[in-house]
Amino acid sequence: MEEAVQTSTNYQLEFNGKGSEFFSVIIVNWLLTILTLGFYYPWAKARKLQFLYGETSLNGDSFSFHGTGKEMFRGFVKAILIIGFLYSLFFLFLYLKSPFLGIGILYLGILALLPFAIHGSYRYRMSRTSWRGIRFGYRGDRKEFSINFFKWLFFTIISFGIYSPWMSINMRKYLLGNIRFGDVEFNSEGDGGDYFMLMFKGYLVTVFTFGIYLFWWQKDLFEYYINNLSMSKGDKEIALNSTVTGGGFFKLAIVNLLIIIGTLGIGYAWVVTRTMKYIFENIEMEGNIDLNSLLQTEENYKDATGEDISDFLDMDFVM
Amino acid sequence: MSEKTKGIFFDGESAIPKAIDIVFDNEKDVLVFETENNQQHFWDLDEVSFRIKSKNMYLEYGNDPIQNIKISDSDFVNKIYDFKKERGNLSWYHKLMDMGIKAHILFTVFIFAIIGLGYFFAIPWVAEKAVVIIPEDYDSHLGTTFFEQNMLFSNVDAEKTKALNLFAKELNLKNTKKLKFTVVDSPIVNAFALPDGNIVVFSGILNTMKNYDELVGLIGHEVAHVNHRHSMKMVCRNLSGYIFVSAILGDANGIMATIGDNVNNLQSLSYSRSFEHEADLEGFEIVVLNKINPKGMSNLFRRLQNEEVVAIPEFLSSHPVTTERIKDINELIKTKPFRFEDNLKLKKLFFVLKK
Repeated sequence: MEEAVQTSTNYQLEFNGKGSEFFSVIIVNWLLTILTLGFYYPWAKARKLQFLYGETSLNGDSFSFHGTGKEMFRGFVKAILIIGFLYSLFFLFLYLKSPFLGIGILYLGILALLPFAIHGSYRYRMSRTSWRGIRFGYRGDRKEFSINFFKWLFFTIISFGIYSPWMSINMRKYLLGNIRFGDVEFNSEGDGGDYFMLMFKGYLVTVFTFGIYLFWWQKDLFEYYINNLSMSKGDKEIALNSTVTGGGFFKLAIVNLLIIIGTLGIGYAWVVTRTMKYIFENIEMEGNIDLNSLLQTEENYKDATGEDISDFLDMDFVM
Repeated sequence: MSEKTKGIFFDGESAIPKAIDIVFDNEKDVLVFETENNQQHFWDLDEVSFRIKSKNMYLEYGNDPIQNIKISDSDFVNKIYDFKKERGNLSWYHKLMDMGIKAHILFTVFIFAIIGLGYFFAIPWVAEKAVVIIPEDYDSHLGTTFFEQNMLFSNVDAEKTKALNLFAKELNLKNTKKLKFTVVDSPIVNAFALPDGNIVVFSGILNTMKNYDELVGLIGHEVAHVNHRHSMKMVCRNLSGYIFVSAILGDANGIMATIGDNVNNLQSLSYSRSFEHEADLEGFEIVVLNKINPKGMSNLFRRLQNEEVVAIPEFLSSHPVTTERIKDINELIKTKPFRFEDNLKLKKLFFVLKK
C-alpha cells in the first residue's frame, strides 16, 4: 500500500534541540576525549554535528549528518601531516638562520591552503548532509575557485582592504551558488557595493552609539545574507526571508552572556541551542518547489581533509 | 516476538514519502515491509543504523542510495532501543549518553577535577622538569639581554658597585654561577636578581639599611633566586600554564579563556610567593654560614615593610614583604642554632656603600 503523505509548498524550518540534550552530548564527548588523550576528537566532532543536524528539521523531517569519526580522523591525520610539513620547513629555515624566509614560507603555505580547505570542507559537509535521504552537494571547481580566491585576495591587498566586501560577496556567490540539494540549486545574490555600505554604516553607527547598534548591524547583515539566498528547480523557486530583529539579537546576546558568566561556561550548550532556535525560527521560506519532487543527484564524497584543515585554522563554516 | 508499526519510507532516489507497515522480527533479525507493486523488503537488523533525531527514530539502510524509514511511534522506538541494548549493540558513546543527566553532571565535576589536578599538580611538575632540560646558557643569555637593555637608562654608581662586589667576595654565597653586583643610583627601595647572575641593588635600599648584616641578608636572598633558577622556573610555569589554559578553554569560548588567563596570572603570583619563601630560607642559611647575625634580615624586612605605605592585599603584590615572611625569619632565628662575630672588613665596605 502506498499513498503520498504530503505534497505541499509550505515550508517549515525548525531547530528542536534541547540545551540539556546538547549538554549531555558535549560532556560525554569531553569525557571520552580526555580519557583517550584527545584521540576521540574527530568522533566527538561527528557526534556533535550529528546532533545539531539531526535536531534541525524541514517540514518535520530531520536533516542527517553522515560524516563519521573514522573519515574525519583520516582527514585529521592528513591535515596534521600537511600543516606539520609547513612547520618543519619553517623550523628548517629557522635552523639555517633565515627566519624571515621561514616565516614567509609558513604564511604563504597557510594562505595557499585556504582555498583548498574551503573547497574541501564544502564538498565534504554538503555531501555528508541529507534530508529524506536526498544528499546535498557542492559542485564548485577547486582550480577555478582557487584562481578566483587569489585574484580577489590580490585586489583586496592592493586596495588596502577596500575590496574586501566585494571579495566576501563574490565568495558567497561562488560557494553557495554551487550548492545543490538533490536537483535543487542554491543561488546567492548580492552586490559588493551594497555590502560595503552596510559594513560602513554599521561600523560608524556602532562607534557613535557606543556599541549598542552592533545588534542592529548584525540583523542587517543576517538579513542581507538570507534574503539574497534562494533555491531553484527548473522554473520553480523558493525565496528565503529573514525575520530577525535587532532587539531579538540584543536579547539573545544578553541572555547568552548571562548564561555563560553565571554558569562559568558550563551553560555553553544552552547558548548554542538558543541561538540555533532563534536563527531557524526566523528564516521563512516561500515558493513553489514541491519538496516531494526532489531527486537524488549528488555523489558521495568522503575525504574530510579540507574540513579538518579548516578546523585547524579555526575557520567557521558558513552554512 | 514480532512487532508491527507504521512508518514512512524514503527510497533514497526521491524525496517522496511513502507510508508503510513495518514488521520487526527479532527472532529472524529482520525488518520486513512492502512498497509499491507489492515489492517486499527485508532489512538485516545488523546493517541498519538507528538514530533518534528530533524525537523520531530514523532507520538507515544501504550505502548508495541510503534508504530511510522514519518512525514516530514512541513505544515502538523504545522497544527497538531496548532490543539493541540487550544485544549489547550500543556503542560506548550511547551507553554513556543513556546514563542520564545526573551522571552527566557528575562527569562535568570529574572533568573539572581532572583539569584542576592537571593544572595545579601536573603543570608545575612538568615545568620543573622542563627547567632541567633548558641549558643554563639560556638563563645567562636571557639575563644579559635584560641587563644590557635596562642599564642603558640607569645611573650606575661605579664606586659603590666596586665596594659591593668586594663586599660579596668576602662571603661564601654557595653560588654555582659567577655573580656580578651593580649599584644603581635611584631612590627605589628594591633589588633584583637576573638569571645570569647579575644582581642589581638600588641605592634607595642601601640608604634604608642601618647595619651590614642587613645587606648580607639581602644578598643571600637575591643569590638564592639565582642559585635556584627561579626566573626560568617562573617562565616555564607561566608558559605551560598559559598553553594549558588556552588549549583546554580556548576551544570552549572567549569568556572562559579570559577567566582562565586571569586565574593563571593569580596562580603565577602565588608561585612567586613560594619562590620568595624558598629564597628567604636559603638566604638565612647563607647568612648563618658566613657567621653574620640573621637578625639583620628580620630588621631589613621590618624596615621594608614600613616603606610600603599602601597596603596591598597579599595575593596582588608580587614582591611583598609581609608580616608572614618576618614571622618565618623570626621563627628560624628562634629555632636554628647560629653563631656570629663582628666582621670589620664588611663593616668598612658597608660604610663606603652608605656614603
